[in-house]
Amino acid sequence: MSRSDAHAQVLVIGSGAGGATTAAVLAEAGLDVLVVEEGGWVEQGSVVPFSLEQMDRQYRAGGVTVALGLPSIAYTEGRCAGGGTEINSGLYRRPPADVLARWAVDYRIRDFDPDELFAIADEVERDLSVGLRPGAATPASEVLRRGADRLGWQNDEIPRWMAYPPDGNASQAHRQSMTRTYLPRAERAGARIEVGCRVDRLELDGPRARAAHVTHADGRRNTVRFGDAFVCGGAIQSPALLQRSGIRGHIGKTLAVHPTVKLAARFADVVNTVDDVPVHQVTEFAPDLSFGGSASQPGLVALALSDHWAAFHTAMTDWQRISVYYAAITSEGRGAVRSVRGVRDPIVTYRLTRRDRELLRSGLARLALVMLEAGAEEVYPSFRDAPVVRNRADLARLQDRFVAGRASVMTVHLCSTVPLGEAEGITGASSYGKVHGTDNVWVNDASLLPTAPGVNPQATVMAIAIRNARRFAASRSARG
Amino acid sequence: MPAVRSSHLVAPFADRLLAADVPALGVVQRAEVVAFVGRRVDGLPGFIRLGVTGVAAVFRVLLPLPGGWRIVSALSRRPLPLLGEYPRLVRSLAYAYIWERWPQTPTGRGGA
Ligand SMILES: Cc1cc2nc3c(=O)[nH]c(=O)nc-3n(C[C@H](O)[C@H](O)[C@H](O)COP(=O)(O)OP(=O)(O)OC[C@H]3O[C@@H](n4cnc5c(N)ncnc54)[C@H](O)[C@@H]3O)c2cc1C
Repeated sequence: MSRSDAHAQVLVIGSGAGGATTAAVLAEAGLDVLVVEEGGWVEQGSVVPFSLEQMDRQYRAGGVTVALGLPSIAYTEGRCAGGGTEINSGLYRRPPADVLARWAVDYRIRDFDPDELFAIADEVERDLSVGLRPGAATPASEVLRRGADRLGWQNDEIPRWMAYPPDGNASQAHRQSMTRTYLPRAERAGARIEVGCRVDRLELDGPRARAAHVTHADGRRNTVRFGDAFVCGGAIQSPALLQRSGIRGHIGKTLAVHPTVKLAARFADVVNTVDDVPVHQVTEFAPDLSFGGSASQPGLVALALSDHWAAFHTAMTDWQRISVYYAAITSEGRGAVRSVRGVRDPIVTYRLTRRDRELLRSGLARLALVMLEAGAEEVYPSFRDAPVVRNRADLARLQDRFVAGRASVMTVHLCSTVPLGEAEGITGASSYGKVHGTDNVWVNDASLLPTAPGVNPQATVMAIAIRNARRFAASRSARG
Repeated sequence: MPAVRSSHLVAPFADRLLAADVPALGVVQRAEVVAFVGRRVDGLPGFIRLGVTGVAAVFRVLLPLPGGWRIVSALSRRPLPLLGEYPRLVRSLAYAYIWERWPQTPTGRGGA
């Protein structure tokens, strides 16, 4: 895009799981597409995954963002070409059929056909090379499988969007993020992609949006005129942008997340795998509760021990024998995203319910049990004044002392701030993502998911985004 | 909202916390970590930065007083948004930096 004012038939704002797929589908349908992305283009492999440099270059606010509440919930968002898909763990779960069916009814989503969404999921799985990890699981992943098996608890390996080299060396895998898949596809079909370009607000004339006011990374500003705008900034930034643009309605009022609590576990042998995350997940109590493994570089191990540093710090010298794990819940709580005029970043809040807090407590205790069964010598739960857990008797102490308000609660799954559907009062956009009360503003990202899906969400985000983009393209070609 | 710089307010607390938490860290290393924490705090989203700046300013006033460290430690144990989370924020940024940069750093006794 030239730095003077620009024009596009369709402006796509954001290039993550929702934006990249939208751009590819629309460009391939012959529409003139311009993608604007606030972050920069960072080639996969040019930064160390989960490092501070990655946080600086690919995360919003260096990865330090928080939803205020009791407790506050730390969250992270991608801010780069490809959005969250560039920095995430690549763990792929199809949208659950029962969740799709419930959404269709509760939110009155028209033509929300699970078969159509699963057919799209088939395509996505091919496009992203979704599959199991070749060779043996990492020791940190094996811990989850072993512990769950000994308890007779259901667990499985989650497929990932990874391309593995022919020799099957999993450490040389390439994440099939949007910069490797749908963004190049969009470009090949003629889409223009402008990185380092933030949309500050949309200019509306009644229900019709006419232009986007943008700021470039070098501070220059200009205007992009468009026929239609697809807002795909993710579940925090999309509602924030709509609010900044003066669009009212059910926008930003029902943030849903999968809150997680974590622990570090120390074993007799080396388990720490610095350059990868565990791929096993314990699903015995899903969707309410599931357990998995986190990135465990020494810095992240220290972080997991930091809530009770006085008691846990000596473990740090053994970080190679330590790995970090999480318990994630499907929360009944909700949060809000609120923009204030003239302020760049929105205020985000989240409120856990009593049931959520209880689930976090029992989840952490059960996760600690998995660790003990897997042979952990010591388990260090991440909450203030947590006890060291060495045996089953200590689990009762963990449960007694746990208070959600003292725990490091965090999330990387954010959704539901502009739910789709026709149900009045609880949806922000139509069954295909058009923002209620507007003629040509669409949302097509994680914001549309009516609730947190109870599984890793990217596949669901992509399936719904592709469905909506196809519908839009079909309506445009029908109009001629 | 004007860009508030908070690093100078955060530095005394971060320095004190690290001296207690990780005594093995040399003065020069500690200064490097404190500078990193300051940069990250300056990059926080607007409202959070404002809140953190407020708490940091209070802590900064309290710290030099007799018993200041004890008061600050007690305050930071309150389960209130920002107040309780401020030490957690400083710790998490600092620890992530220390052990990414110097993974073999020995640890010491915990503080606040
Ligand atoms: C650390 C991490 C790990 C995760 N792990 C997994 C996993 O293993 N499996 C899984 O299924 N999901 C995972 N997720 C979640 C998954 O990445 C998200 O659900 C998905 O990326 C959401 O897609 P999106 O299009 O809604 O938003 P995003 O992918 O976040 O993309 C939004 C993009 O829009 C840009 N943007 C925002 N506002 C503007 C603006 N005003 N102007 C211009 N550009 C803007 C942002 O910079 C960003 O690049 C993880 C997320 C994170 C952060």
